[in-house]
Amino acid sequence: MADKSNDPVAIWQNMIGEMEKGFNSFANQAMSSPEFSKMMNQAGGAAAGAQKQLGELMEKYLVSMNLPSRSQMVGMAERLQSIEGQLNEIKAMLTQMSKASGVPAGNAFGTPMPPRTRRPPSEGEPK
Amino acid sequence: MNAPTGLDFAAVSERVQTEVQRAIQRSIKGVEYFSTSGPTLGSTAKDVLASRGTMNLYHYRPLTDEIYRVPILIVMATTNRGYILDMVPGQSFIEFLLKRGYDVYMLDWSAPKPEEKSLRMEDYVLDFIPDSVRRVQEDSGIDDVTVIGYCFGGVLSLLYGSIFHDGPMKNLICFTTPIDFREMKLFSNFSDRRYFDVDRLVDSVGNMPPELILQSFEMLRPASRSVSQIQLWENIWNDEFVKSYRMFDRWATDTLPLAGEYFRTITKDLMWDNKLFNDAMTVGGRPAQLDKIKVPILHAVAEHDHIVPYDAAKHLIQKIGSTDKEEVILKGGHVSLVAGPNAVRRLWPKLDSWLGGRSI
Repeated sequence: MADKSNDPVAIWQNMIGEMEKGFNSFANQAMSSPEFSKMMNQAGGAAAGAQKQLGELMEKYLVSMNLPSRSQMVGMAERLQSIEGQLNEIKAMLTQMSKASGVPAGNAFGTPMPPRTRRPPSEGEPK
Repeated sequence: MNAPTGLDFAAVSERVQTEVQRAIQRSIKGVEYFSTSGPTLGSTAKDVLASRGTMNLYHYRPLTDEIYRVPILIVMATTNRGYILDMVPGQSFIEFLLKRGYDVYMLDWSAPKPEEKSLRMEDYVLDFIPDSVRRVQEDSGIDDVTVIGYCFGGVLSLLYGSIFHDGPMKNLICFTTPIDFREMKLFSNFSDRRYFDVDRLVDSVGNMPPELILQSFEMLRPASRSVSQIQLWENIWNDEFVKSYRMFDRWATDTLPLAGEYFRTITKDLMWDNKLFNDAMTVGGRPAQLDKIKVPILHAVAEHDHIVPYDAAKHLIQKIGSTDKEEVILKGGHVSLVAGPNAVRRLWPKLDSWLGGRSI
């Protein structure tokens, strides 16, 4: 294999790495100033407001096109999630009831659990 | 004619050949990259023990015939998804713990809905965590619980542990957990109280949009995204590199929104007033002082963490009231400390050797 100092690929990779470090460090210095904070927050505040307005406008447009918006899709996903959650609660309740009626022990889902007897392996013992 | 000193023509020819092969592979794999999805993440078998709004509590199915007595509850950071700790088989922290005989639960978060914008710090520290601990106790039949918190999950675990210092937390493990927020210098500057009107922002947007959170993370290293894309192109012939890139890129961009009121408290109490560090933090009127925590604690920090610099995390061990306490500084960054090949070699075995004896 060629010496690293002669390898153009290694030189290129090293250069990219150094450029990344240099740019990040320069940007970090610039971003530590109060002026940057002031400018960023002025721009950010305006952008957040504009983003919200745009989102609302898009939502209205999608409703007029009879299409579901992102928030409606997210809403549906969340309803499904909540139904799943309720099913899990029911499963857990059923398991508790079956435990109470003398069925062998397991976790909330009836999966039999191994005994809680493990101890750390002693020195040299495989883990 | 003689070759110039140090130049080995055979090696150069081999290098050129390799690069030509890689260039061809890049074209083929480049097309593949855009036509396929990444690896399936978070696939370790689990049951959903509870799901309530933004809160999800999972129980992972044991993989050994015998498990330690004390179960583990992992508290994930509220900004990101928990699958960073369960990437793919062989690179999953959860799978590692299960194979080493631990009983593992995880408190993970989904995106808070717009109507959950009023969730406060109290909801996380005095409701979601204690409720999850109670459910872990009920499900495992064991009173003691080890809590592991990653990043801001560590902050929430510290707040929980300092308020509920009489139990049932048996051990506490924090990964890259900040307590001195002045030392998160860039975040501190971004949220400078003279210019950052958190009230106006929260009142106008409700929940903090994930794009803003992602942007603020990326601003810490503005050149890194472009460089990582160059590196992807260079290494696109390498399946392992691409798989790893896709896993971490997907996770990093899968940022969660933050509930508005919760974000307001983080900004005012932690970023502005540094109350946790100054022993002045309260949650729902209850004082949260770190010296009240007396359980064994391990704090793992990363040498090159650009999100939580060491200076922001270094006082934790000193401020904790426990006598059994340890800090480990490991090579790596904020994410590579807990996931990926670096974590497999360094953090995971360290954690196992620390926790095993304290889990019986």
